[in-house]
Amino acid sequence: MGMIYIMLTVSLLIALFFLVSFFWATKTGQFDDDYAPSVRILFDDETNNNSKTQTDGSTEI
Amino acid sequence: MSEGCYHCGDKILGKGIHFDDKDFCCIGCKNVYQLLSNSALGQFYQLEKGAGQKPQSGTLEKYAFLEVEKIRSKFIDFEDVDHARVTLFIPQIHCSSCIYLLENLTRIDKRIRSCQVNFAKREAVINFDTSLKLSELAHLLDQIGYTPNFGDRKSSEQKKDRSAMYKLGFAGFAFGSIMLWSFPEYLGIEKDNPEFRSFTSYLSLIVSLPVFFYSASDYFISAYKALKFKSLNLDVPITIGILALYLQSLYSIFIDAGPGYMDSFAGFIFFLLIGKWFQSKTYRSLSFDRDYKAYFPVAVTRIINEIEEIVTIEDIDVDDILLMRNDEVIPCDCILESEHARIDYSFVTGESEHISKKKGDFIYAGGKLIGQRSALKVVKESDRSHLTSLWNEVRSEKENSGRSIYQDKMSEYFLAALLIIAATASIVWFFIDSSRVMEIAVAVLIVACPCALALSAPFTYGNTMRLLGRKGLYLKNTSVIERINTITDIVFDKTGTLTSSSQYHVDYVGDELSDQEKIAVCSLANSSTHPLSQSIVNQFIEQQIIPSSTIENFEELTGKGLQGKINGVRLQLGSSQFVGAKKTGNDESSSHVRIGEKSGTFRFSSELRDGIERLPKTLERYTLHIISGDGEQDLDLLKSIFPEGTQIHFRQTPEDKFNYIKALQTANKKVLMIGDGLNDTGALGIADVGIAVSEEAFRFTPSSDAIIDAESLIHLYPLLQSSAFSKTILRICLAFSLSYNITGLSFALTGMLTPLVAAVIMPVSSITVVCISTFGVLLHGRFSRVKKI
Repeated sequence: MGMIYIMLTVSLLIALFFLVSFFWATKTGQFDDDYAPSVRILFDDETNNNSKTQTDGSTEI
Repeated sequence: MSEGCYHCGDKILGKGIHFDDKDFCCIGCKNVYQLLSNSALGQFYQLEKGAGQKPQSGTLEKYAFLEVEKIRSKFIDFEDVDHARVTLFIPQIHCSSCIYLLENLTRIDKRIRSCQVNFAKREAVINFDTSLKLSELAHLLDQIGYTPNFGDRKSSEQKKDRSAMYKLGFAGFAFGSIMLWSFPEYLGIEKDNPEFRSFTSYLSLIVSLPVFFYSASDYFISAYKALKFKSLNLDVPITIGILALYLQSLYSIFIDAGPGYMDSFAGFIFFLLIGKWFQSKTYRSLSFDRDYKAYFPVAVTRIINEIEEIVTIEDIDVDDILLMRNDEVIPCDCILESEHARIDYSFVTGESEHISKKKGDFIYAGGKLIGQRSALKVVKESDRSHLTSLWNEVRSEKENSGRSIYQDKMSEYFLAALLIIAATASIVWFFIDSSRVMEIAVAVLIVACPCALALSAPFTYGNTMRLLGRKGLYLKNTSVIERINTITDIVFDKTGTLTSSSQYHVDYVGDELSDQEKIAVCSLANSSTHPLSQSIVNQFIEQQIIPSSTIENFEELTGKGLQGKINGVRLQLGSSQFVGAKKTGNDESSSHVRIGEKSGTFRFSSELRDGIERLPKTLERYTLHIISGDGEQDLDLLKSIFPEGTQIHFRQTPEDKFNYIKALQTANKKVLMIGDGLNDTGALGIADVGIAVSEEAFRFTPSSDAIIDAESLIHLYPLLQSSAFSKTILRICLAFSLSYNITGLSFALTGMLTPLVAAVIMPVSSITVVCISTFGVLLHGRFSRVKKI
């Protein structure tokens, strides 16, 4: 019987994990544009690839 | 040859330019190709054919204002010692090739560190070394055809409001979790285990708290506001339902009787928020709320003590001397200081003729300067000018909350019925079993909660809006659909709406030209991108004359005309003054040509859009009106295609148009206004529905409720019908949602509403309604005969 309490707690933790991931994804703007990333992945990386494409729009300094 | 320009895909007029085994329509396109292929960006052309943008002939000077610190800092998001970041709005972004090119800008200029495109917003976030000036960056983008738009600052300033997503996240999380824990409850497995029951109950309670206090808060606020102003909206019965659900569940938890309806509560909020989210997905990249500032240059050159300085529009004071360039829109009411100037007022009045002004003449804001640089003295500041005052008048009058009027009306009946049923049930049960009165009354309130009803409108309207969008009519928000469905009168603007603004019908009068001479004239005209020249070229090409001569000493004098030498013969094409011909009619509707000794005149008349003659017939149901800023020259043409009884008015100023619509509305008409220019803004703003016509959906349009593709204009009637169909679907949804409410009520009234029944009825009814509205609109879209060309 004690097992079910552990399982419920674990299920809650998993759900919380997904909730937090969802918030993170929203916050970093991953739902803002659903077209560009789908195209971006198909571009060929040419040999002299010196462009650092950033995935989350954050700044590199 | 017939494939069109390798870069932009446009039809090549005449010989075109042959380079690197490819054909180009103009030098600009060839240059972009050269630049791209030198930078190893050839993949651009493989992704999508002819996707390039025709570059405009912008000079670096055009962007000089970006180097004024005060203006620059407005656009720069972030800056440190050697690196800066800027977010630019680039309306031309339209396909995967654009993304590829912009994100690889670093190959063209090493000083650009990276670029990230947000396709949905048509924005590019660019990181660059500060050794590259912002003006140079803008100029580079301009050169490759992606002119950044600095005037429309609003779109990039738009705050990212993500609270709706967070609310949705919490509700979804709570819904899933609570339902999982409630399973034993549904199946009656752990009924005899009070310890476990209270564990899940309190767990549900904890999880539901953020849903109640955060996710659902909008509904409480909205209902409170409605009651405060003694009106009703759909949020009132929803709030009653939510409160009944939640309080009943709390009570149940505190007396250790299980988690109550917590699962239904969370699910209910979850579904409602999905509906809200669905409805809010609009065309974010289109700008419906441009104010006059979007049309004016961001900054202008001011002369103080003979020193030129660049200032923002806001900083201009009365009596300042401004220096305006060719093609710039004058931002203030001014007096001309230079000797002569030509002003294009088509923006403001819709009149296509340019107007000559002399020193000391008064010039209204909104006119476009044509030709030489001119000095102007400011009489009124930008925000007090004649034009903007008209604009502000409209703005304040039309404020729409985006609420569904239809639903708000429904909610009155709904609430009345709800209260009557709850009261009757309580009285009846008082005689049957007085201990259960409270329980039954609460059950009635719970089950009658208009969840499905609340979902039907967002989904039906949201789907209809997307259907219309696919066919070329882009709505600002879903409430426009309701207003479209009540329309009685349609008012058309003429120039740019019924007639195409870039195509003219050309007639030639004058000395007979030989084929050789025709080719020469055609070649000369082909060297200019001026719309009148292009019309002449099109006219010649229809006669099988190909512009193939080479021109020597070619010159294009802005505002005057073109000249050059072909086979030793001197050619001139342009205004009467320039060519030295006698003035016949006005200069804007004709162009004079002189070739050697011969001379002649091309006359231009506006050409109706393709297929527009079929439009009026389809719109028989509505009363039609035409208001135009132009003179009467096209009266016969319009009379021939519009049915009798159509009211046609010419020489209408923006105020006249505004007042005309207002007068119709006072006569209890619901008016749909279709126009294109800044001169229609007042009318578009006050009309019940204002639709702006645009050749390209992402070009500048005045503020309006909807934007229609110029090509889709002839399909206006089917589009209006599609919109009207949403009403039918809404009724069907309504019938379904009410039938679920009645089913639920029968459980509630007989005292059999268990949490399990509620947990089944609520999602099932919501899903049915969502399916009906989605498939209804989808099927309608498939079977209606409208096709996007």
